[in-house]
Amino acid sequence: MQPEKFYYDNKIVRNFGIATVIWGIIGMTVGLIAAIQLFHPGANMNNQYTTFGRIRPLHTNAVIFAFVGNAIFMGVYYSLQRLLKARMFSDALSKIHFWGWQLIIVSAVITLPLGLTTSHEYAELEWPIDIAITIIWVVFGINMFGTIFKRRERHLYVAIWFYIATFVTIAVLHIVNSFELPVSAFKSYMVYAGVQDALVQWWYGHNAVAFFLTTPYLGMMYYFLPKMANRPVYSYKLSILHFWALIFIYIWAGPHHLLYTTLPGWAQSLGVAFSIMLIAPSWGGMINGLLTLRGAWDKVRDDVILKFMVVALTAYGMATFEGPMLSLKQVNSIAHFSDWIIAHVHVGALGWNGFLTFGILYWLIPRIYKTELFSKKLASFHFWIGTLGIIFYAVPMYWAGFTQSLMLKEFTPEGMLKYPNFLETTLQILPMHIMRSVGGAMYLLGVIVMAYNLTKTALQGNLLADEPAQAMPLEPLHAVAREASWHRRLERKPIQLMIAALVVILIGTFIELMPTLTISSNIPTIASVKPYTSLELQGRDLYIREGCSNCHSQTVRPFRSETERYGEYSKAGEFVYDHPFLWGSKRTGPDLAREGSKYGNAWHYNHLMDPRLMSPGSIMPGYDWLLTQPLDTTTTKAKINAMRTLGVPYPVGYENQANADLDKQAKAIAADLAKDHIKVKSNKEVIAIIAYLQRLGMDIKANKTANK
Amino acid sequence: MKYDRVIIPIALLLFINMPARAADDNLIPGDLMNYIGFGAVVFALLLIIIVLLVLLKTTLILTRIILKSEGYTEQEIAAEIKPQKAVKKAKGDVWIKLMSLRPLSEEKDLIIEHAYDGIQELDNPTPAWFMYLFYGTIFFAIGYLLNYHVFHTGQLQYEEYQTEISQADIAKKAFLSKSANRVDETTVKLVTDPAVLSSGKAIFKQNCAACHGENAQGVVGPNLTDDYWLHGGKITDLFKTIKYGVLNKGMPTWEKQLSPKQIADVANYVKSLHGTNPANPKEAQGTKETDDKLASK
Repeated sequence: MQPEKFYYDNKIVRNFGIATVIWGIIGMTVGLIAAIQLFHPGANMNNQYTTFGRIRPLHTNAVIFAFVGNAIFMGVYYSLQRLLKARMFSDALSKIHFWGWQLIIVSAVITLPLGLTTSHEYAELEWPIDIAITIIWVVFGINMFGTIFKRRERHLYVAIWFYIATFVTIAVLHIVNSFELPVSAFKSYMVYAGVQDALVQWWYGHNAVAFFLTTPYLGMMYYFLPKMANRPVYSYKLSILHFWALIFIYIWAGPHHLLYTTLPGWAQSLGVAFSIMLIAPSWGGMINGLLTLRGAWDKVRDDVILKFMVVALTAYGMATFEGPMLSLKQVNSIAHFSDWIIAHVHVGALGWNGFLTFGILYWLIPRIYKTELFSKKLASFHFWIGTLGIIFYAVPMYWAGFTQSLMLKEFTPEGMLKYPNFLETTLQILPMHIMRSVGGAMYLLGVIVMAYNLTKTALQGNLLADEPAQAMPLEPLHAVAREASWHRRLERKPIQLMIAALVVILIGTFIELMPTLTISSNIPTIASVKPYTSLELQGRDLYIREGCSNCHSQTVRPFRSETERYGEYSKAGEFVYDHPFLWGSKRTGPDLAREGSKYGNAWHYNHLMDPRLMSPGSIMPGYDWLLTQPLDTTTTKAKINAMRTLGVPYPVGYENQANADLDKQAKAIAADLAKDHIKVKSNKEVIAIIAYLQRLGMDIKANKTANK
Repeated sequence: MKYDRVIIPIALLLFINMPARAADDNLIPGDLMNYIGFGAVVFALLLIIIVLLVLLKTTLILTRIILKSEGYTEQEIAAEIKPQKAVKKAKGDVWIKLMSLRPLSEEKDLIIEHAYDGIQELDNPTPAWFMYLFYGTIFFAIGYLLNYHVFHTGQLQYEEYQTEISQADIAKKAFLSKSANRVDETTVKLVTDPAVLSSGKAIFKQNCAACHGENAQGVVGPNLTDDYWLHGGKITDLFKTIKYGVLNKGMPTWEKQLSPKQIADVANYVKSLHGTNPANPKEAQGTKETDDKLASK
């Protein structure tokens, strides 16, 4: 047989590489601005489109889906072609994939600052964009499997197992977490409510970390690290073991984001148990990577690219050990809702994803441009400023999280909270927040230096858009000797491998999600909990638009320090009409689950206008546009109808009187404000959001009065 | 890089010290604008790192010069500066044993024939310690589920909460029975003790001034210096209003935030403000009441 000649498509790799660097800089800059707003609230320029609540989702989406996303496609398109000895299946699909993905990101950059959001973390994009993501993901899948089918390599290398698992699991996660009922072109309600919605969201959220930030990166590590170090992979057996164990166990771990909430106890415990079992499978990847460098450590000393890889693997090891520890409920009770979690995710994001991406870029760009890296010195500077940046970022955040959590839990001997005013604990940690933004700025500076270095490299070389290669065509299957090992046989059957991965991830999914979604006894109802009035519903949507849940939780955990501070702990039945749930994941400000009637309407009005009037030193931004913008009531009818479709028991015909009702309630609030010499028209947005805030937690208080 | 082993520990050390100091000195509370303070902290930190780096470099250069002047050759100098190389080999052996690895020399027997784009794989077994770790976590996980859901030896969150509350109640009762802190709305007395009033003033400024005004002239909340009261003007009424709040009027409950003694102090402070006629008073609200000085005595 004659070897066949063909060409690798390097241009698509280059394009994804450029996108990675540009979106990386944008995403990290937005992160830096958000970080500065946490000690200098004026940093949003008093502009509604740049408040923390709106740009924090922009930061997370840009970094996860734009920076890391493009880096994944860059790494996959480069390694897949070479591991399969074939050009990508279709150049047209590659182009559609590239431009489609960039368009999705651009639409995120436009819609998130406009406040168009589902409020589901890392899935904030509204339903039309969700559909676009699904289509582009399928395009990616077809392109990947098409390439696999025309391969000239019989067996699939471990990197490709990870790519396949990534593809199939992200598809499942994205579709299930995007079940939403459209209300208008850019507004929808989640199909699930309350506890169920929370479980689906964190099953998704946790596995977005697992299957977007971890498995594709492990796959890339398995290709690029042996290439860079020119060493064999340490253990094939370890690859098999940790691949299957990792994808099987990861999918169960989501509930550890909901410890001490109203999620049923059995689901919480399953989440903890599986999180602990994740340590070894996660470490399997790190060990296999670090041991691949055995005998090459002298190279690590001189080669900055390998340095990036070693720090990336170490950060991965640290984060995947810390994660299971954080899921232990004793640790979680301190760490959850605090800056500790921010430190944890940034060790993973900056260390593992960031540094691995940088390592690959420094290795790959000179190769496809057929030249040497422009400056090793600058790359070395990037490595050191980046490493210091991670330390400057993480250490103060650990410190801040620990300090604030312990302060919030401290009691005096009289049995009173030592720091009853939440703000006192916020002010205590501001210096740490300043240090953190210094760390972030250092890291960003490193990336900018890298962008310069890579641009210079590209300019001094010439892109080899179609790289010639040759390989023997596949022998017919009957000519291949039957292999003894079942796994070896599986490695030459891509469809079976995909189905096996799918089955493995669906086991945990079904066992955890199904009972909570279908068995009603898991969510005890409370008779006094009533649907929101039309004004409160509109106010709730403003709360979602402004991204309030990025800083304020709405779930009181059963701890003495929380029931003393906020009131009775939350019950599952309180959230049955919450499409979507708004529990939040971080308390930059206090919990709001029991906010209703805690303060007067006038207090809320003044506080929303300028929080520092009522809470001197507060770091919450002012929301004075709520005072002047009229509430859009044209959507009321559609919203009531949509909620009814989802099972919220609004009486028949309520949609027709909803706006009259809304008007009446708004006028009452405006009249109450007038008593305190606040003149505001009843059609302003602020009235709706006050109505919603005053409703929070009231149903269960009503229940108490009725029982007395 | 020769600074590998130096920079990270130094940076760590600095960080561990820094936030603690900042916290103790109370750099900001109440004074967000103290950016000079923040700047100084950041600047000092960076400066220290730079100085340490310079010092390190200087020491290295000085060592080199001194050694040179003593007639050392370049190689000897290098050996002096980085003497640890020879020891490393021995360390490696221990490491290999601990990690249950095979020596590198046996590697060629372990290579699997196949290569993917030049990448080869070794047929190493999964390290034994790794498997023990994995089995260990599986046992832990099973034990965890048994503990909470089969034997019920561990408390789930709501039982845990009951335990926490009852323990706190016992501790609180024990403490309060020993202290003079047991004042409530029926036993509170009107006093003019300056210590009480100054304590009350501090509490007022921190918690009440936002709504009632710096001088209690009334802003969102009513004027507290005039003769008119919405919920009664006696010291006992004040105590009760502060303790339980008036939720429909926007007065929060302070029971959880202020101790009984603190509530008594601030109530007495408010009583002491009667008739002070501050600037920009809010109009009268409620009913006129006569002074209760005699009544409560």
